[in-house]
Amino acid sequence: MLIDAFHIARLEARLALRKAHQLAAIALFAVCAVYLVFQADGFKQADAWVAQLWVVYLFSIFSAAARLFDREQGPTRRYLQWAVQPRALIGGKLLYSWAMTAAMTLLVFIAFYLFLGIPEGSEISFGALIGAGFWGAFSMSTTVTTVTAIASQTSAGPAISAVLGLPLLIPQLILCTRMTRGMMDGMPWVASEHFVFLGSLGLGTAVLAVLLFPYIWRS
Amino acid sequence: MTGKFWKWGGIAVLMGVVWLTFTTPMQPGLVSSQVDKSADLWIISLTSAGHPLDFTAQPTDFQLVLKSGNMDTGIATYCAEVTAISSHGITARFTPPDTLPAASMDVYLMTPGAGSLMLRHAFSVKDAVLGLPAENCVLGPENPNLLPTTIPFQPTILETIRNLMFHVPMWFAMFFIMGLGFVASLQFMLSGDIRFDQRADAAARTGLTFGVLGLLTGAVWARFTWGAWWVSDPQLNGALVTVLVYSGYRILRASTGDDDRLPRLAAAYNVFAFILLVVLLMILPKYSESLHPGKDGSPGFNTYDLDNTLRLMFYPAVIGWGLLCYWIYTLRLRMIRVGRSVIDR
Repeated sequence: MLIDAFHIARLEARLALRKAHQLAAIALFAVCAVYLVFQADGFKQADAWVAQLWVVYLFSIFSAAARLFDREQGPTRRYLQWAVQPRALIGGKLLYSWAMTAAMTLLVFIAFYLFLGIPEGSEISFGALIGAGFWGAFSMSTTVTTVTAIASQTSAGPAISAVLGLPLLIPQLILCTRMTRGMMDGMPWVASEHFVFLGSLGLGTAVLAVLLFPYIWRS
Repeated sequence: MTGKFWKWGGIAVLMGVVWLTFTTPMQPGLVSSQVDKSADLWIISLTSAGHPLDFTAQPTDFQLVLKSGNMDTGIATYCAEVTAISSHGITARFTPPDTLPAASMDVYLMTPGAGSLMLRHAFSVKDAVLGLPAENCVLGPENPNLLPTTIPFQPTILETIRNLMFHVPMWFAMFFIMGLGFVASLQFMLSGDIRFDQRADAAARTGLTFGVLGLLTGAVWARFTWGAWWVSDPQLNGALVTVLVYSGYRILRASTGDDDRLPRLAAAYNVFAFILLVVLLMILPKYSESLHPGKDGSPGFNTYDLDNTLRLMFYPAVIGWGLLCYWIYTLRLRMIRVGRSVIDR
């Protein structure tokens, strides 16, 4: 099943690369959002900087992961229902979403670093910031993927995944901003309780998704 | 008849609780102090909240003692002369001493009928000459508290402590009914019986109502004690997210229409939502810094000040709100089933 999941993830990646314009659209959205923040100006203070970073990041992740089940309609859906176990399918989707949002992290954080720099007087290193970003990406993309899996089964589709997903991301957003704020004051991020909570939320959601997905996938 | 007994019983309990909650007076307590200082005479006015002070008594029946210092500096007590009393305040004359053990003074007011009331750090004396006075104030015998049943005095919370009978049981009721919905969703997933899905739907709707009521009563309480309708706090964020997540459940059901897949989707989402509820409301705030009582850094009421009078109201309130919530849930369930049977016909 793990191998199946891996194959699904690879298939997803290949299909995504084949439709590169979709990836480009997501990347464009992220970079534009960062540039908007830069133009809006006045976000040099640490608190506002952190808030802006994570809000931009949250929407970037959302726009990336909310399309994850777009393909599973009609014949493709029937084929996949026949060919792979549902748990392998959701596992593959999760793996792919982690990889994709990790790439997204690099993009957003590097763009943010280039345009806005790091607030003066903070003790955050760029490496640690990227690490925190990966960790947040893991947690947030798991939630978005799970919600999208549910939302894609309804007739309303992507619209409802935003309604269902954004409230669920509030705790993660709070944890991410608190963690980054702590890092700026010189607290090692891996040692903070926020790190543990973020990880457990991500892991718990992933386990739930794998457990529950078969029930919503059958038709 | 037995079926109706618990319903009317619950309502009766609730009405009794509400009546007691709003009629039981609060133990008086001092809330603020003011002092008019001149060189050799202070005019002190103290304001109290709660049950009126016994203003039929003579001012001389009251004894006002000012206390300063601690174990390290030595403790000194000074007598002040009570000159006038009103229902919620007293005025006293005080001759400032030459020396004080510390710059801050606490006051103790011995009342003839309501025990002794205390206000910490009532006054501070700038450039006080530190030292112990020659003689201390001699206290009279301790007066008993003759007031009838009262609810306890809590600084800052004051009269809003009555909200304890609404805010907390509403959240308990929400937990209870959401838990019921969670179990129903699990049962649905195992059995595929549509009746369990209807139960989960009814439970989520009822729970959402109580969640919103809990947020509103909490907001009122926060306004009085913290000064704002909403503050960013792990417990409050968790509560808001919970309500949003269950609103999402309603939207999910509404937007899927009459699709055959709806019950399974809803069940999966409900399981997810309830686990998140437990994490957000019970686990996360316990390990974060929270202003909210009962969490880290802020002990709950039961730790030291849920006294017997409060208990007498609080436990029935929990039962009453729980029964009312369950009744609403059964009504909702019947409405859903009737609606279903109309569609099927």
